[in-house]
Formats: sequence, C-alpha cells, structure tokens
Amino acid sequence: MVKNVTKQDTLREVEKKTYMSYHQDGLIDIIIGLYALAFGLGIVADKIWDFSFAVLMPGILIAIVLPIWIQAKRKITLPRIGYVNIGTKGSNKLFALLLGLSVAGLGVFFLFTMMTFQNGRPEWIETILFHYGMIWIGLGATVIGSLFAYTMGLKRLHGYGLLTLALFVSGYFLSVPFEYLLLVVGSVIIASGAVLLSQFIRRYPLPKGAPDNAAQ
Amino acid sequence: MPPSDADIQNIDRLIHEPSRLAIMMQLYVVESADFQFLEHQTGMTPGNLSSHLRKLEDAGYVEVTKEFVDRTPHTALKLTREGREAFIAYRRSVKRFIDKLPE
Repeated sequence: MVKNVTKQDTLREVEKKTYMSYHQDGLIDIIIGLYALAFGLGIVADKIWDFSFAVLMPGILIAIVLPIWIQAKRKITLPRIGYVNIGTKGSNKLFALLLGLSVAGLGVFFLFTMMTFQNGRPEWIETILFHYGMIWIGLGATVIGSLFAYTMGLKRLHGYGLLTLALFVSGYFLSVPFEYLLLVVGSVIIASGAVLLSQFIRRYPLPKGAPDNAAQ
Repeated sequence: MPPSDADIQNIDRLIHEPSRLAIMMQLYVVESADFQFLEHQTGMTPGNLSSHLRKLEDAGYVEVTKEFVDRTPHTALKLTREGREAFIAYRRSVKRFIDKLPE
C-alpha cells in the first residue's frame, strides 16, 4: 500500500470505490427502469385513450420519482453505508455529460426543423431514420448507456445499453411494437435493480444501537 | 544514489502506519465522511478506527464535526488543510525514497 500510495491511479481507485459504494444499492437502476416502463405505458395509454401521456410522462416522472429517489437514498443507503460527501468532481462530470447530450439533441432537432422548413428532408434521410427507427433507438441507448457507464463508473449500464440494442434490433425484424419493447427493457432493468437492492440490504444490515454512528 | 537518512526522516511516521494511511487516503478523495462510512471502506473495527482517528485528530490532520442529518446526530470527519498538505508531502517523500532504491 505504501508503494501504491505514490501512484495517482491508486487514489483514483479509492475515489472510484467510494463513488461505486454509493451506487451499489440498485436504486439508480430502478429509476432508469421506471422511466423506460412509464414511457412505454404512456405510449400504450396514448393508443387507448388518445391522450399525450408519453409527452407528459418525463415531466411527471421527474416530479414524482426524483423525490422518491432522494428519500430512498436517505432511508436505505446512507444509514447502511454511512454518510459521505464525495464533493463536486463526479457530479461535474455527470452535469457536463447531460449538458453535452442536451446540446447534441437540440442541435439535431434544430437541423431537422431547418431541413423540413427549407427544402423538406431528403428521402434517403426519411428512409434511414424512420424505416430503421428501432435500430437507431437501440444504438442510441447503447451509446448513451456507455457514456453514462464511463462517467459514473457503473459497468452494468453498458449491459443495459446492449440489452436495449439487442431487443430493439430483434423487435425490428420481428415487428414487435416499440412500446412493448420499452416495457420489457424497463421491467428487466427494474428487476436487476431490485436484485441489487436486496443484495445491498443483506450485505449492509442496519447498524444496531444508538442512532449516533460515531463510535468516538 | 541510495536513499539517505534524511529521505527516511522526511517520511511522516504518523501517516506511514498502514491503518492511518488507509484513513488518510480515504479522506483525501472525499470532502467528508462519517465514522460508519470509513469503517466500511477501510474494513477496520470501530475501536481500531477510533484510536487511529484520535491520533490523526491530535496531530491536526483530521477535523471532527458533530452535526445533525435528518434529526439524527452524526459525526463528520474531514482532512484539515494541514492534513491534506501532510498527505501530499508524505506521498512525495515516499516516492523520492522509492525512486532512490536500487532495482
């Protein structure tokens, strides 16, 4: 350890282990899964009641799920592994990624709007985008999953991205409706999060005794 | 050139002890952490951790603050500026020492 402490990589490893310990509870997986599931249910509801649930869903979910996530962290995770203030390094990277994705999304949206209003979109773009839409969504999920996996150091997000790609590519060839694939992806990710959560609860039982965890 | 006596003397003995080194490393990469978190991360027993923390606190390397989180009292531990500087200096002196050792 003494020799390793001189290496920057060792400190990065400790930093990573600290950050990972905070996300090993599976709560982030449950939130991601809930998003996919709710979005799929929104589309199903759209088709049944002809109301734009799918458009409203992201906003509704942020209002409901975010406070639940914060409370779950406070009530489940922190009493078990203890309190840690990681600082802003990790959240800055995540914020930069979210900002980058938003700018890229807005850029693509702007480009398409311009093309539509000027000459209309070229036919080949229409074909590539709309005919192979499911494959694009799968590829997008893999890329976004990998970016988040890299930024947050959570390798399982690569897996979720690849699962989405596999399901959407198969769905394209088997003509499975988009919303059903979302329901499957969401359910699988929630189930994986639930398994991680139950493992976390078993590995870190609530400490017995006084609420003050300071044994000093 | 092999390491000199001065190179050995420059190594902070308080930090050099493996358990305290683990605590210093852990606190160096975060803003602050509580006792329970350090216990999990370092794998030390409460008594052992407590005793090493007291030594680091006495040296002025670790600051202990009592606060309430969700109406529950808990103890936050963080490296003082002096502690951070001491850890950086420790890493430098160990590196210098190791670099001078023959292969």
